[in-house]
Amino acid sequence: MIEVINLTKQYGQHKAIDNISFTVEKGEILGFLGPNGAGKSTTMNIITGYISATEGTVKVDGYDILEQPEEVKKRIGYLPELPPLYMEMTVEEYLKFVCHIKKVKPQKQKEVLGKVMNAVKITDMRKRLIKNLSKGYRQRVGLAQAMIGEPQVLILDEPTVGLDPKQIIEIRNVIKSLGKDHTIILSSHILSEVSAVCDRVLIINKGKIVAIDTPENLAKRLSQSNKMLLRIKASKDKALNIVKGVKSVKTAEITGSREPNTIDIVVEGKEGLDIREDLFYAFKSTDYPILMMKSLDLTLEEIFLQVTTQEQAIDHESISISEENDAQHEETDGQQREDGEDVSNN
Amino acid sequence: MLAIINKELRNYFASATGYIFMSFFLLISGIFFSITNLFEQNPVYNNVLSSITFIFLFVVPMLTMRLIAEETRQKTDQLLLTSPLKVSEIVLGKYFAALLLFLLTLFITVLYPVILSFHGKIAVGEIVGGYIGFFLLGAAFISVGLFISSLTDNQVVSAVVTVITLLVLWIMEGIIMGLPTDRKSSIVFMAILVIAIAALFYNSTKNIFISAAIVIIGAIIMVAVYLINPALYDGVIVRIFQWFSLLERYQSFSYGIFDVSSVVYFITFSCAFIFLTIQTIEKRRWS
Repeated sequence: MIEVINLTKQYGQHKAIDNISFTVEKGEILGFLGPNGAGKSTTMNIITGYISATEGTVKVDGYDILEQPEEVKKRIGYLPELPPLYMEMTVEEYLKFVCHIKKVKPQKQKEVLGKVMNAVKITDMRKRLIKNLSKGYRQRVGLAQAMIGEPQVLILDEPTVGLDPKQIIEIRNVIKSLGKDHTIILSSHILSEVSAVCDRVLIINKGKIVAIDTPENLAKRLSQSNKMLLRIKASKDKALNIVKGVKSVKTAEITGSREPNTIDIVVEGKEGLDIREDLFYAFKSTDYPILMMKSLDLTLEEIFLQVTTQEQAIDHESISISEENDAQHEETDGQQREDGEDVSNN
Repeated sequence: MLAIINKELRNYFASATGYIFMSFFLLISGIFFSITNLFEQNPVYNNVLSSITFIFLFVVPMLTMRLIAEETRQKTDQLLLTSPLKVSEIVLGKYFAALLLFLLTLFITVLYPVILSFHGKIAVGEIVGGYIGFFLLGAAFISVGLFISSLTDNQVVSAVVTVITLLVLWIMEGIIMGLPTDRKSSIVFMAILVIAIAALFYNSTKNIFISAAIVIIGAIIMVAVYLINPALYDGVIVRIFQWFSLLERYQSFSYGIFDVSSVVYFITFSCAFIFLTIQTIEKRRWS
C-alpha cells in the first residue's frame, strides 16, 4: 500500500532522514518510534506530500507522490503533529470546509460528518468554536479531519500527545477500530501505545532505520529470554548451591540483597530450555521459599533505549547486553511496568 | 477553489478585518465624494476615484497580510497542501476572495454617481472606464500584497513590507525622473541585472554551470546589442522602472480613455505576482 524507497531529506549539510526504505501492507498499522528530531515527522510530511524529498520516492497504492500528487493525496488522511485547525471556525464549519477541499460529494457530506464526529465523539461539540476547545478535543477534531474523504491510508503524527490517560485509551481504541479497514502509520513517544496498537514497529534514529519488526519479535530478538531474576529467602551460599545444582542452569550470579534475609540471583538457562519449572522443583523440597521469579525480558522501552543509544547495536543490528546494564534494567523495569499498567487500567 | 474563496470571505467577516476594510474605504470615498462633487457642485466623478487611490496603501495590507502568512504560522497550510487541491487553486482562491471583497465594496460606491445622476447628466462611459481602471489598479496591488504574505509567517512583517512596497510603486514616477538615461549607466545597470539573475539562479539550484552560462549569454547579447544598435541602451533603466509605474497606467482610465494595452498590462502584472506566490510556496516545500 505504501512504498518508501531510498528516501533522503537534506537541509543544507544536515540529513534529516538518510536513505530510508520500508513498505506498509494494506490494513497494517505501523508504528514510528524515535527520539525527538529522529526524522519521524519529516518522513510523514514527505509521504503526505507536504514537503518533498531530496532523493528517493514514495508510492501510495502504486501512485508516485511526485508524478501524481492528487491521486496520492486523495488516498491519505493526515493528522500532523499540530492539528491544522482554524481557531475562528466552529467544529462543524471546519469539518465542512475539509469536506469541500477533499471534494466529498455534497449529498454525502451530512452522512460523512455524522460518521466522523461520532467516531471521535465530538458530536456534542459541533457548535463550539475550535479556539474554545481543550487540547484533547482539538486533537479529536484533527483526527476527524483526517478521516474525512474515506482515505485508505491514515498518517497520524503523535495522535495521543497531550491527552489525559482516559482520552488516550479512547483515541487508541478509535485507531484500533480504524485499523480494520485502513492502512495506518502512527508515530508516538509512548511505547506501550505502539506495542498495544501496532502490528509492526519501525524504530528510527538520526534519520536512519534502526529496527523494523513486530513488537513481539523485537522484544524476542533483543531479550535475554533465558535469564531469570530470583529472590530467595536464604543465605548466599545455600541458595547459590541449590541453583547451581539444577541441570538446565548455565550460569548463576548473585546480584545483591534488596529485602532483609533474602538474596537476588540472576540465573541463565541453557539455550532453548525453560528453567522455571526446574528451579521451582529444586526449591520445593527445601526450606528456602522463592519469593519472586521474574523473566528478564526487555520491555519495549528498554529495547528502544538500547537501539537508539548504542552505536554498535545500530551497526550490527544485534544487541548483546552487557552484564553491567542488568542492574539498571531491573531498577527501571518494575517502575515502567507499573506506569504502563496505570495507563491501561484507567 | 470555491471552498477557499468561501473560507477566506467568511474569515474576513468572522474577524473585524472585513468590516474595518469596508467602513474605512466607504468613509474615505464618501468624504472625497462630498467634497469633490457635492460641495463643489462638480459633476466629474472620476476625480473622486483618482484622488482616493492613496487608500490602497492602507487597505491592501489589511486584505492581504493574513492570507498566506497566517496559514504558515498556524501550520494550517499542512491541511491545504496535503489535500487534493493544487497550490495554484489555493493561491487563486485567496486572491479572488480578497478581490471579491474589494469588488463588493467598490460596488457600494456606485451609489455616488447614481446620486449625481439625479442632479444632471453624468458621463456614464467615462465613469465605467474609471471604475474598471480603479478595480484593475487595486487588483494589481492586491497581487503584490498576496505575494509578500507568502514570504513570511508574520502578519505584521507582511503588512509593513506591503505598505513599503506599495509606497515605492507609488512614488515610482518621481524615482524615474531622478534616474540616469545615459548609455554608460544603462550598460552598468544591465550588467548588474544579468549577474543578479545568475546569482538568484545559483542560489536556488546550486548549479554553477547554468549560472555561468546565463552570465556568458547575457554578456554576449549585451555586446551584440552594443555593436548593432547602441541607441537601444538609451534610457533602459527608465523603461524598466516604468514597467512598475502602475499609477501612470491608471491615469489614462481616469481621463476617460479606455486603453486595452493598460488592461492587458494590469492583468499581466497581477498574473506575474500570483505566479511568483505559487512559486514561493512550491519552493518552500522543496528546500
